[in-house]
Amino acid sequence: MFRIRSVVAGLRALFRKRQVEREMDEELRDYLDAAAKDKMRSGMSREEATRAARVEMGSVDAVKEGIRSVGWESTLETIWQDLRFGLRMLRRNRGFTAVAALTLALGIGGTAVVFSLLDAVLLRPLPYPESERLFRLFPLEGKRKRGVEQASYADFRDWQRQTRTFESLAGYQGVSLNLTGTAEPERLEGSAVTPGFFATLGVSPVLGREFRSDDSESVAVLSYTLWQRRFGSDAGIIGKPIHLEGRTCTVLGVLPPQVRFRSHPWATPVSDIFVPVVPTPARNWHSVRVLGRLAPGVSKEQALAEMNGIAARLKQAYPESEALGIAFEPLGQYVVSDASQTAWLLLGAVAFVLLISCSNVANLLLSQGAAREREMAIRTAVGASRGRILRQLLTESMLLAGSGGAIGIALAYWAIPLVGRIAPPFSSLFSRLQDANLHLNWTVLGFSALLSVLSSVMFGVLPAWKATRPAQSSFAASRAGGMRGGLMALEVALSLVLLVGAGLMMKSLIRLLEVDVGFRTEHLLTMQVSLSEAKYSTPEKQAAYFDQVLQRLAAMPAVLSAGTVTDLPLTRNETSNGFEIPGPHPGQGTAGYHAVSAGYFRTMGIPLLNGRELEMGDSANSPLVGVINRSMAGKYWPNENPMGKTIVVYRFVAERTSAGTHVQFKPHMLEIVGIVSDIRQLGLDAPPDPELFIPYDQWPAQEMSLVLRVAAEPSWLIPRVEKEIWRVDPDQPVTDIKTMDEWVAREAAGRRFILLLIGAFASIAAVLAAVGIYGVASYGMRQRTHEIGVRMALGARRQQIVWLILRQNLSWLVIGIAAGIAGAFALTRLLASYLYSVRPTDASTFGLIVLVQLAIAALASFVPARRATKVDPMVALRYE
Amino acid sequence: MKSSELIQGTLDMLILKTLALEPLHGYGIALRIEQISKGVFRVNPGSLFPAFRRLERAGWIKPEWRPTENNRRAKFYQLTTLGRKQLKAETEEWERQLAAITRIMRAPAISDL
Repeated sequence: MFRIRSVVAGLRALFRKRQVEREMDEELRDYLDAAAKDKMRSGMSREEATRAARVEMGSVDAVKEGIRSVGWESTLETIWQDLRFGLRMLRRNRGFTAVAALTLALGIGGTAVVFSLLDAVLLRPLPYPESERLFRLFPLEGKRKRGVEQASYADFRDWQRQTRTFESLAGYQGVSLNLTGTAEPERLEGSAVTPGFFATLGVSPVLGREFRSDDSESVAVLSYTLWQRRFGSDAGIIGKPIHLEGRTCTVLGVLPPQVRFRSHPWATPVSDIFVPVVPTPARNWHSVRVLGRLAPGVSKEQALAEMNGIAARLKQAYPESEALGIAFEPLGQYVVSDASQTAWLLLGAVAFVLLISCSNVANLLLSQGAAREREMAIRTAVGASRGRILRQLLTESMLLAGSGGAIGIALAYWAIPLVGRIAPPFSSLFSRLQDANLHLNWTVLGFSALLSVLSSVMFGVLPAWKATRPAQSSFAASRAGGMRGGLMALEVALSLVLLVGAGLMMKSLIRLLEVDVGFRTEHLLTMQVSLSEAKYSTPEKQAAYFDQVLQRLAAMPAVLSAGTVTDLPLTRNETSNGFEIPGPHPGQGTAGYHAVSAGYFRTMGIPLLNGRELEMGDSANSPLVGVINRSMAGKYWPNENPMGKTIVVYRFVAERTSAGTHVQFKPHMLEIVGIVSDIRQLGLDAPPDPELFIPYDQWPAQEMSLVLRVAAEPSWLIPRVEKEIWRVDPDQPVTDIKTMDEWVAREAAGRRFILLLIGAFASIAAVLAAVGIYGVASYGMRQRTHEIGVRMALGARRQQIVWLILRQNLSWLVIGIAAGIAGAFALTRLLASYLYSVRPTDASTFGLIVLVQLAIAALASFVPARRATKVDPMVALRYE
Repeated sequence: MKSSELIQGTLDMLILKTLALEPLHGYGIALRIEQISKGVFRVNPGSLFPAFRRLERAGWIKPEWRPTENNRRAKFYQLTTLGRKQLKAETEEWERQLAAITRIMRAPAISDL
């Protein structure tokens, strides 16, 4: 109960201390006088009475202490005393304080950095109201009923019409659109969305409105950033025309700034522009990703049951619908994707570092505790209770943790933006960090404070408890205390696990970068051109454009050769399609389809294994020819030579009708005229698939990548190349201009990020563990100085002394290494999804790391051991 | 005769009761308790004075400095209204407990029958 009187009295006792003390003295003196007078009345003399009264009272100071301890202010005072005393002790042992604080700073700071990553990844992934009711819907297909990302438009519309459990459903697709106009042509990343999409999310535009079902196709909604950047925050933008893909579109609305929508979780640019989805009636053509908002009061299970019922009914009515069922995922979880897995892994790794730093400080305190034995004895003798001393020691630990934490936060402040910068782009982790704006926020600060308190308990309790135990005999103290040795073993084990993890990641990265991609990557400049639909509406126009561009580029003096291809290698893009093998043994197959320029393989440096390359002669008027890769040859013609054979390929044709865009696959006969070597199409870590290459004159594409082999470092050439391309069509944007080396680096970026962080943690851990081993060995040496003196005086040789010291720690080190190996065996499987071509239990990595750890431990023990032998035996003998 | 130990709560109650009649100073309270209990309870200052501060903080007694002879002053304690209420409540509780204990102690044992 909070009594005002008590508070006031306590404050008075604190701030009017002298007066309160005087009053206490007065009262006690009066008591003594009264007692003495009373005794005199019963016959004692004055001196006897006074003495008797004093004896009855006992120690006046004890009584006063008893009175003082009643108030709450006395607890406050003791805490304050503890703090001052603690600060004084820490200032006295500056070296110890510095080492301990720095060690803790590394542990607490590192954990704060990773925690901020985790916080950013998990923090409110969706800025929409009641976002826990938003779900992504996945059609389940195939024998194993696996979820696929997209549904067919027709299915989606039926789901929309028939559902009662969802308040609304919406569909979206990723699109890239050319924006032209007064300024430079720009390629925008955006999404095509169905009417009511933003209402489903719970977002209203700040200007204008969103799409309705009666809107034409030529409308657009802008993101807030685009509106600011490109249209100068023009308030009259609604109803104004903009030029997308050569068509004129009317701006219907502008979205609020907090909307950062991505067409998929790892898409690095946020969608800047939104257009309506073009309906496609074919039920087997998957084009839209579906999300929906649950109706109020409906549970997920009810919705699942209803939607699966709807899907089953649709499958019966329309056999070509491929959805056998529907699965849900909360939209927030979908957006976070695998970023949280990475963040938790890193948190686990840095927790090890924190544990090592805490046990280092615990060891330091244990050593210090032994040195303060005298102080503890004196304090106990003057009457301090064990609890009081413990409280004071724990206060010291908290001060230590506090200073370590403060330095740690400073480190984190510097390190967090750095980590944000090296995050791999095109990953869900990067998207999350961008959206959440990774920085040192209050949550991280609060967490660090909590962590400091927790660590102070972790490293402080044990040494404090040990320090307040009655003094042990010197014999017991000279043994390398079980506690110290155990902590050292723990450190060795933890740092071993981290080092193994880092070693595996490094080996994996090296293996990945050693992969033979199948073509020459140096001095190769790549760029993407997406022709606008309206301007280049026919295949002839499309082919003509690329003809002209290639001609111009090849004519540039710095360019050795130029080519073009759909789906550039190592860009994680592939368009695969089916084909048929006619003849006596008919067959079917799938391959990646690529339209390429003549001489493409020469430009890329892909070796030709058989037959010929595609030439200028293979034009629209000659029979369809193609080149296949070795994988395709081996898979579909294992026992024969595919040269000269004909296959039936299917051409994707999109027809715009009144019902929507009709999609068809028209068959063509194609003769195989050459076989080339395999390349890595999807990525460094994906094995080659069957690929088919067709001349783009015969198979024009609207969107292709240009590749230029140049004589020297490509980057400086970029503006000149752009200018040449714009000479053909100044309104046609050129995007994604990168060197092939950059694409390769991007491939490795994800693993490199993890390697950098785990590597940093492993290095810190190894250094801290080494310091810990050094500390324990030093301490052990000092304890046995006297003994060493005796041995040396009796004629022991230097090596024997060194071996004596080393042997002391050896058993603990061995235990530590064994525990580390066992721990690494158990834990590295968590890394399995990040490793490439390396098993989590890779023997050579384990062996190497164990040797490294042994070497570090040996060195760390050796240095104090050698110092021990340098001691003058006479000095050592006198050492107590 | 050894003075019996008084539990903290009971001491508080006795002090309140002692002050119910008239305000007293420290020694006076100790003397009164000793006298009325016929020497069974002899409270030492080490327990007494912390109790005073406790009761003071709780608002049950109120200190008053009164002048004495020799131009000095003595600290007298007085029962407050709150204190009176507390005394009444504690007395009732004590009597209840006492009656119960007495009943148990006086109850015949099974073997007695």
